[in-house]
Amino acid sequence: MSFDTFKDLSGEEQEWVDAWVDGTIEEADFERLQDRMIESAALRAVMRRYLAIDSALQSREADLGILDQDSAAGPWLESREPRGSAPDAKVIAFPYRTAFALAAGLALLLGVGALFLATKSQTEPGGEEIVHGSGEEPSARGFAVISGLFDVEWAEGASPHREGDTLGSEVFRLAGGTAEIQFFSGAVMTVEGPSEIEMKSAWEAECRRGAVRMSVPPAARGFRLHAPETEIVDLGTEFGLVVKEGESHVEVIDGEISVRHRDAEETILEKGDALGLQAEGRAVEVPNGRISFPDASKFSGRALEEQRADFERWQSHRQALARDERLIAYYTFDRQGRKGLVPNLTVPRNAELDGAVVLAEPVDGRWTGLKEALEFRRPGSRVRVNVPGEFSAFTFVAWVRIDSLDRWYNALFMGDGYETGEPHWQIRDDGKMMLSVMVDDTRPNPYVSNDAGFHRVYFSPPMWDPSMSGQWLHLASVFDPENRAVSHYVDGKRIHRQEIEDRFFIDTLRIGNGEIGNWGEPFREDPVFAIRNLNGRMDEIALFGAALPDEEIRELYERSRSSR
Amino acid sequence: MPNTDELSSGEDERYETFVARFAHYEPDLRRFLRSLLPTAVDTDEVLQQTAIVIWRKFDQYDPETNFMKWACVIARFEALAYRRKMARDRLVFREDVLELMADEGAGEISERRVEHEALESCLLAMPEKQRQFLTLAYTPGVKVKELAEEAGSTAAAFYMRLKRLRHQLMRCVEAKMEWEEARE
Repeated sequence: MSFDTFKDLSGEEQEWVDAWVDGTIEEADFERLQDRMIESAALRAVMRRYLAIDSALQSREADLGILDQDSAAGPWLESREPRGSAPDAKVIAFPYRTAFALAAGLALLLGVGALFLATKSQTEPGGEEIVHGSGEEPSARGFAVISGLFDVEWAEGASPHREGDTLGSEVFRLAGGTAEIQFFSGAVMTVEGPSEIEMKSAWEAECRRGAVRMSVPPAARGFRLHAPETEIVDLGTEFGLVVKEGESHVEVIDGEISVRHRDAEETILEKGDALGLQAEGRAVEVPNGRISFPDASKFSGRALEEQRADFERWQSHRQALARDERLIAYYTFDRQGRKGLVPNLTVPRNAELDGAVVLAEPVDGRWTGLKEALEFRRPGSRVRVNVPGEFSAFTFVAWVRIDSLDRWYNALFMGDGYETGEPHWQIRDDGKMMLSVMVDDTRPNPYVSNDAGFHRVYFSPPMWDPSMSGQWLHLASVFDPENRAVSHYVDGKRIHRQEIEDRFFIDTLRIGNGEIGNWGEPFREDPVFAIRNLNGRMDEIALFGAALPDEEIRELYERSRSSR
Repeated sequence: MPNTDELSSGEDERYETFVARFAHYEPDLRRFLRSLLPTAVDTDEVLQQTAIVIWRKFDQYDPETNFMKWACVIARFEALAYRRKMARDRLVFREDVLELMADEGAGEISERRVEHEALESCLLAMPEKQRQFLTLAYTPGVKVKELAEEAGSTAAAFYMRLKRLRHQLMRCVEAKMEWEEARE
């Protein structure tokens, strides 16, 4: 079968096509182009390919986003002032542009706020996050954060939260247990289940039912809490509220509050005052001290104990894991041994695989005060390793805390250079995990300089966005030639699986010299391309020379996670 | 036509199935439509319209059959309807041209996919500055003329550079495709 290419088109055909794409074609030429299209199947075929590329570039912009507007504009606009000051040349990354447009279009049609596709936020040049979407969808950036969870049970249908999750406009439902929520205004709510809290803003919430305690520092004075038929404005410090079957009980623990119930005048309550508020009736003074309001402080000792228990559980897990024969190397980055070295923990001990720390700094790990991690924030940060041998599969597993995805590609574990059989495990700036193995580095590409060679990158769907900054994540990727599959996992759950096609098949795998958290010996000197340090922390990484099945990845996660 | 006031849970589920499926094929449909329409903006508009029609007719879709084939029929129809609306726009294809492109394009969905993979690796191999230029040039709402003036250049120079890069990518993609074909 013949293969028609762009260069097979005549010069004038090429010109017409480009002029049409750019919107600058003359009318007469457009007529000629169309006549020629009718005649020539080759022209049509080439045009479809060409337009698909044009279309991909258009949506690729959405796919990649623009990391740094100045640097994006730089090469073309070097001599000019920063782009931020040029009002007409806004460079705005529109991730999920179409998804949003599509969902918005459908929502219009359906008359519902079914915008779950459109809840991703977008970043404006000013750095402010704009959140699209409406209804009760959680937004990427909220106005409160869950600062503590104790013995919680989640209400049926409610999505379970973790400590550190941000909350936006949504209804927070607890079936049992206690949660501590810090509003960005500074107000702190401790809430006990069963309860239902509608989050309205950093300054406002509604308790539909349940028991809460509000602590309001001077900076958050004026925080408003609604109960049925009632509005409470905190004038400083602390109060409690219980809402049960439409009736409320409010009590000032310290400081004062203002209460407006139904149409009555507002009442100022001071320390020790308590009011019973009937949904249909009046506010009546009631004795205080009868109700114990939620109190997170009694859990603080427990949290530490739990941490320690989790840490100890992880330690015994680590000892067992170190004996796994499929392990190539295993690092947990605790400060020990000689300075500048991280020991390979596989048993029996093989010091040849110890890693050398370059610039990466020891910081707190998953369990503050108990476990250390390495931070790869500085561009030169890395841990260098040398791993000899040949393998038939790879599994990479790491606990990682991403602060931000600053680089185009952000390294987890990378073979130096990128030679046949060597892996690259990294995260793209749009939050997609990537695993690739060079299939053939000798296969030339005559058209593109600096082409890496023949390989395929297996991308996961985006699994990270800035709202997850600072969260510890368990990441794993598996390169499994025997089953012809590449899989990606987050927190023990598989998020992507893709076939290894014949042409990309390779089962003689190597590592040799490699790096954790950065890329050594990049084949291009361009720093934007070459610098791949991970802006974040890693406190554990295991490299296996075998493909671990789903269940084992999940177990690895379960055994090493913390319960909060 | 679904009830526009309230969605029952069955509707919810149907909607989710639809969204999942549509999201999966959206890049295919976009590429397909792009070859029928003058600009990316037109493509977006027809794509949206297509999504709405697919949703409306989703009940008629037999899940055992090829979704993309079905979707292409709808997309083709929507592109033709759009063409009629926009017929006075000087960049819109004649009906016979559009139909030919649509008929042939509908049979090339998987080719487009492989090409897309090739494009990804071509872009990856591109020097950073060129990639950044492309990103900038393809940013929605960017006015080439203003951008060029701002850079002390001309729109013509900008287009020239853009064209060269597009050609370079096209050559790279075609080289990879040709190579594939020779192997198979």
